[in-house]
Order: sequence, then C-alpha cells, then structure tokens
Amino acid sequence: MSKNLKCKMEDGRRIQKSDNLDVLIHPIIHSSIHTPKGILWTIILLMFLSSLSFAQFQLPEYEKYTLPNGLTVYLMEQHEVPLVYINAIFPAGAVWDGEQSGLAALTAEALLFGSKDYTKDQIEQTFDFLGASISSGAGTEAAQVSISFMKDDFEKLFPIFADIIKNPTFPQIEIEKRKQRWIAELDQARESPRSVIRNYFNKFIFREMPYGNPIYGTKKSVEGITVDELRGFFNLHYPLSNACIAIVGDFANANMKAKIESFFPAMPKTEIALLPDELRNEVELPSGNRVLLVNKDDSRETTFMIGGKGVAWNNPDIVQIDIINTILGGRFTSWLNTELRINSGLTYGARSGFPHYKYNGTFYAYSFTGTENTVEAIDLALQVLDRLHKEGINQETLTSAKNYIKGQFPPDYETSGALADLLTTMFFYGLDDSYINDFEKNVDAMTVEKAKEMIAKYFPRENLQFVLIGKADEIRDMVSKYGKVTEKSIEEDGF
Amino acid sequence: MKKIILLLLFSFPLLSQTSVEDIKSFTLENGMRVFVLEDNSIPNVAMYFFYKVGSRNEYPGITGISHFFEHMMFNGAKKYGPKEFDRVMEANGGSNNAYTSQNLTVYQDWFPNQTMEVMFDLEADRIQYLNFDSIMIESERGVILSERSTGLENDPMEELWDEVQATAFTAHPYMWPVIGWESDIKNWTKQDLENYFRTYYAPNNCVVVITGDVKVDWVKSLSEKYFTTIPSGPKPRDIHTVEPEQKGEKRVFVKRDVPSPYLLFAYHVPQASSEEYYALDLLESILSAGRTSRLYKSIVDDKQLAIDIGTAYWHSFDPTVMWIYAIANQGVKAEDLEKAILEEVDKLIAEGVTSDELQKVKNQKLMNFYHSMETISGKANTIGSYELFFGDYKKLFSAPEDYNRVTREEIQQVTQKYFTQDNRTIGILNAEEEGK
Repeated sequence: MSKNLKCKMEDGRRIQKSDNLDVLIHPIIHSSIHTPKGILWTIILLMFLSSLSFAQFQLPEYEKYTLPNGLTVYLMEQHEVPLVYINAIFPAGAVWDGEQSGLAALTAEALLFGSKDYTKDQIEQTFDFLGASISSGAGTEAAQVSISFMKDDFEKLFPIFADIIKNPTFPQIEIEKRKQRWIAELDQARESPRSVIRNYFNKFIFREMPYGNPIYGTKKSVEGITVDELRGFFNLHYPLSNACIAIVGDFANANMKAKIESFFPAMPKTEIALLPDELRNEVELPSGNRVLLVNKDDSRETTFMIGGKGVAWNNPDIVQIDIINTILGGRFTSWLNTELRINSGLTYGARSGFPHYKYNGTFYAYSFTGTENTVEAIDLALQVLDRLHKEGINQETLTSAKNYIKGQFPPDYETSGALADLLTTMFFYGLDDSYINDFEKNVDAMTVEKAKEMIAKYFPRENLQFVLIGKADEIRDMVSKYGKVTEKSIEEDGF
Repeated sequence: MKKIILLLLFSFPLLSQTSVEDIKSFTLENGMRVFVLEDNSIPNVAMYFFYKVGSRNEYPGITGISHFFEHMMFNGAKKYGPKEFDRVMEANGGSNNAYTSQNLTVYQDWFPNQTMEVMFDLEADRIQYLNFDSIMIESERGVILSERSTGLENDPMEELWDEVQATAFTAHPYMWPVIGWESDIKNWTKQDLENYFRTYYAPNNCVVVITGDVKVDWVKSLSEKYFTTIPSGPKPRDIHTVEPEQKGEKRVFVKRDVPSPYLLFAYHVPQASSEEYYALDLLESILSAGRTSRLYKSIVDDKQLAIDIGTAYWHSFDPTVMWIYAIANQGVKAEDLEKAILEEVDKLIAEGVTSDELQKVKNQKLMNFYHSMETISGKANTIGSYELFFGDYKKLFSAPEDYNRVTREEIQQVTQKYFTQDNRTIGILNAEEEGK
C-alpha cells in the first residue's frame, strides 16, 4: 500500500485471495440487456435475499497441446488490450530445497542473470526498453517465469524468454552479489511480523515435512549455496518435459504454434517427479494445543495465527470449504472481522484461510492487536471458532456467502495475466475446465446440512496451533493458558 | 530501435481498444457528475465515487478525520443502519473498499451487474443520510488506532515518512499523515464528523465513474432515480495555503532499532496540473522504473549499497514532493548511501538523460496505460483520476502523446530546477545517529 493512501481494508477486494497458488514472485523491484422493468423484478427478489443466479463466468476458449519434447503449451487469445502474457511453470519449488533452504528461490531468480545467448544487461535492457516486464520466482511447490509485453514485440522477447528457461548460465559474480543482498533482506523482513508469521506457522505445523521449508531460506543456508548447486538444481527440476507455458493475449493462434516449436525442438524426455513423495504423508500434530511465542522486543502489538491442518488442492469439498471460510473469515462481514474489528475495535483486520498445496494444507485464523489487548482478541477469535461448531450456519448467511463468492468470481480472471496464471496452475495441479466452469454449480449445491458436515470435518477445533509474535515479557504469562508454550527470538536465524 | 519508436507514435489511437467516444458522461441537476464506460468482458461492474476531500482539507486538531470519515461511511445511515451497508452489499454479491489520500476520498464498489440497483440504493442512502452512532464511532476509533499502529509496527519506512513529510512542509496541510496524529485520532468528536459531512459530502463535490457490463441509459435512469433528490451543498472553501519556497536543506533523524539504515529524500515539485508534470513523471521513471533505472542499476545492482530503492510522485492538487527512498544493505553507512544517491541525481543535473533512456520510459508509460485499461476497476480509477487531477478525463487519451512530446532538454531542466540541495529534505532512520 502506498504510504499516502489509507484504506478501509488491508487487502483490497477479496481478502482470502492470496491463499491460492503459493508461488511468490520475489519482489525485486517491483450480456444481456437490462430493461428497468427487469431490474425492478430483480430488486423485488433481492429483498427476500434469494440465491442469485448471475451471468455465468466460463473459461474462455483455449488450445492445449504437447510438443514432442514433452513441453505442454496453452494458447488463449484475448484482444481487449494489445498485450501478451506468457507464464512458464516448473516443478521447482522450495519443497525440493533439502538441506539448502532457499535454493529453489535463488535458482528461480538467478535464471534472469544471463543465458547462453544473452547477458544479464542485455536481458534487462531489452525488456525495459520495450516497456515489457520479466520476473521469476519460486513458491513452496513450483517456480514460475512470467513476461508481459506489447504484442508487436513478440519476436524480440520470446527468444530471450526461451533461452532463459533452457540455458541459464548462473554467473558466479551475479550470484554472489544477489546472495549478499538476499541475506540482508532476510534480516530486514523480520522488522515486519506480518511478513514472516506465515513462515513460523508453516514450520510449526509441518515440522520436518518439506512443506514447512521457508521459501527464502535462512541466512546460514543461503550463505552456503554455491553456483554448482544452483546448476544442479536447475538440471534436475527444469526439464521442459515436466513444464508448461501458457500464452494469453492479443496474438493470432495460427502462426503462434510454429514459432513456439522452433524454440523448443524435440529432445529426449526426462521424467522427474513433480513433488517429493513424502509430501503425501498425513500431517501428524502432537496432541494438545501448542503455542509458539516469538519475541520481538520493540513490538507494540501482537500478531497472531491460530490454526491447524487444512486440505489439499484436489479435495472434492474445496468449494464448499471456501464458502464456509468466507463466512468465518473471508470477507469484510465475516464473523472474525465482525467480532474483532467491527464490534470491538481491537484490530484493523481479522481473517481466516485454507492455503492449500497439492497433497496437504493448513487452516489459520489471523489478526493483530495492541499488546495489551492480546488475550481479549485471541479469546474472541476462539469464541468465533467455537460458535461455528456449536451454532453452525443458517440459511440466510449461507445464501449471502454463496452470492458473494459467485459475484466476486469473474474479476479474479479478468486480465490476460490472471488467465495465464490460471492455466499454468491448472496444469500443475491437474485441474480441468470444470474447476472454473462448474464453480457456480458447486457453490449452488451447498446446503445448511452439508455445511454442518463440512465444519465438523475440516475446521479444526482441537490440537490448535498458536503462533504469536510480540513482546514476550508482557504476554508470556497470559498466553500460557492456550497451551504448552515454546519461545523463540525473532532475531534467531530460521523459523 | 527507431522502427519501434515510429510504430508507437503512429499506432497508438488504433491500438487502444477503448476510445474517448466510448466514455459517456452526464451531470445531474444537483451537480453530481457521472461517467460511464460500457465493457462487457465480465458480467460485473465497478462503481467509484470520488469525493474531493482528503487530508489537505484538515487542520491541526482534526488531522486524519478525512480517513476516519471514510470508515464511518460504512457505519450506518437512514434506510440501512449500522453494519447494514456491508451486509446488504455482500449478500448481493458485491464487495467494496475505500481509500483516502491527501487529496481525495474514493469509495469503490464491485458487483455483478444484476444487482446494480441495490448498490445505487445503498450509496444514495449514505450520501444523503449518514448517521453517526456513538457506539460505532468509538469502535471505529479503535480500528483506526490499530491501523495506524500496525503500519508503524510493520514498516520502519512509514515512521520515517511521517517525520520527513512533517519537516518538508512548513505551512501546507500536506505536512501531516493521512491517517492523522494519534492524539487527534483519540479526541475528535461526533460534532467534527457532522461538520465534515455537511461541508464535503455533497453531490456537487463528487464524481461518479461506472464501468463494466452496463448500458448508459440504465445508469442514467438509476442515477436520476436515486441521486437527483440529494440536495447540493455550498462549494467548500478553497485551500489557499501556499507552501513557501524552501530556502535550504532540511534534515531529520529518527531513532529505531533496525538492522540497517532507512533513507528518505523529499524534493518540492509541482502538482499534476502543472505543465512540468509530464517531464517530472518521466524523470521519476528514469530514476527508478525497472532494473535498468538509474538508481536501481547503480545503487542496488552495481554498488550493492541498498537492498531496496524507489521513488514516488503522486497526483496532487497542490504543489507536492517527489520522494526517493532506500534501505541500506548490510554494513552500509547511511552517509555512504546518501552520497551515492545524490551522485546519481547530480549526474542527471549535469549530463541529462540519453535518448534511448527517454524512449524507454515513454514506452513504459504506454505499457502502464494499457495495464490500467485491462480491468473495469483500472478504467474507473483512471477516468476519475484524470478528471480530477488533470481537469478532464479526455487527457487520459492524450497522455501517451503528452509524454511523447517531452524532450531530453525539458527533463534536464526540471531536474536542475527542482533537485537542488536547498529544495530537499533528507531523513534517516537508524539505530544510532552516525558520528554522534
């Protein structure tokens, strides 16, 4: 958020949106005609808070095919603005870091430091000069390289993009420079509890399972990463046979296919695993509630997450879970935000979410409040969770959440960039068109009875995991009532 | 490279899928102006209300009240009481947010097109009949104090920003933070809010922009039905305070335990409606847009002196400042980072920019224009911003040309004129003041 803009809400339109595909781009720099009469009828219906049926959003037409070398290509024409977006995805996320935490993220970023035919300067100058952009980064499970540009610049930029993902050179001097700044960034990130709390939380829940790997690593591990390790990581996790590129925007499909194929000639396929097998294991949480208290000496507020196990991408109930979460903590009038913010003024915002990975996931409730209000706010959050189980959801609330989710769905896929991102996500997680096209149908299928079942099944009530970042001396005694307390200092390397 | 330049110059009006004629506008009897842009790419609508009021309309004692007021606009009116606005909007598939800047307060509604009439009803109710419930005032006061505190908690730069701003300006209300000073947040009264409502929330002080899957006639009939009955108000008083010319460098130091120093520079520059705006805006891009920008390339990439660097030059009604901010790399002294940044500024003053560099930022501006026209929200925001800050939404379409006209000489001239030592304020935030 800009320093001179203050908003009603922290995260804009949909507060749960950030919980989709967990691929972070490292922030380097940065139809029908309506007559008034028809409308009147709609209004009358609305007065009774009926379930609304909006114009259905369907996935625009696209073509998907696989090259002889195994690379999957998606092409989707969109002509609203003269721009093209290309997104490539690789099974090269932080879950593959092993002992070298941060390796996946550094590899992804270092792709842009030079390739066989282009130096770092040439890449940067060409993209910048044309007003285009290029970024790369790794998340927990996958890595992405994304470019966007004005349509007439395809011939100038696609060869660079292709060379970067095929033949990066990982020049020693650039790697050393970036490592040194990276380590300073890790220190600086600890100035902001909200930007590191998820690292602590994931580690607390997943422990030794690689889903708990901090994407940007630790100072010690990043310090130790060598150029050979980056090259090794690239060779292992970036074969085209396991990758996908999505091209969305203002281009003509017909001549695009031949162009692409010329850059990705046939070569022997390498079969690799998309993800480590151990990620499929059930997450075992110790019995009883646990509290991780992270001390930050100069804190004037406590930032907290409370939660537990969540669900995986392929969970058949994921849409239903999203509806309930909307009510609990996924919109402005959600129960958490209503209790902690609107009714009590304890915080600027409270929310909940189910970040999901391919084989596992977490559930969290999140907020922050002045140090002196810590217990009041956490107690309130726990009461809200309890109420969800005890009272369940009534018809009126459910209808409202269904309308909200459906009404806010189309803007998520409004731009070519968002669609390119969607297509690579569908590839990586093996989703088909029904993920978009049946969304409304799945929302409509939800009932009050089903909600009750879902709450009991998926919303944690026991073995709650608490992560609190704040001034430990002032809250230690008060928060021990929530469970067994472990303490850390925010200055300690790692999470 | 030349071919690209020509292409950009000549093909611009054809490339843009939205043209100036597509935007329709009408003015209601009470002075409310409404702009409509039909776009059926998704079955949704963005409806933005731009009120010409921000922290520049405040005075000591009520700093931050514009932003507080923005929050109170969600807390109950006549037909829709406390909590009803959000409840009804969300139940009808809509969501909203709002923001307050030094100049404007903007309310943003996003909803499926079928429910547009409900949104008109909700907005009309609060514009005309906002009610200040004492209990809601107190809980909202807590929310704002948390918003202020969490900003400072999570971002040392925000703390430095408040200090440098308060130092760079001596007279103009741009000197205080939009969120206000803590003691003002704790003490403003219901009466203050009522006065503010009467003064600034009249339809003649508001511009409405509606983009999305709508028809102009439909918007017109709803506007007439819901908005025309709202009485217009007297024109709010003009902000007549002119910031006096700065006569010498100012410095400020903030002590906070951070791993490496934070730096912030503020140079007084003209507002968006100034003729020099386009040159200054391009200068800002030359300094910081992209990895090949002057500051990023030199300070972050080559010299490794900072881990983050950037600039800001926001639209404003009155003369404002251009910001340069940086966070030092590990072990780098504030003094050395400051020196390196000033060297880059001095180099621009002495040597100007290259023609490739100028063409680069012009291309970037064109790309930004397309990005802003990609979404119904982007369109609504851009139309409103141009109408208010540049006096005419049509300038949105001439902007690429207005940028294209700027010469290397003009960029060097504005750099020489405004990026002087006497015209700047430098702020440093660090655990200890160096050399003390």
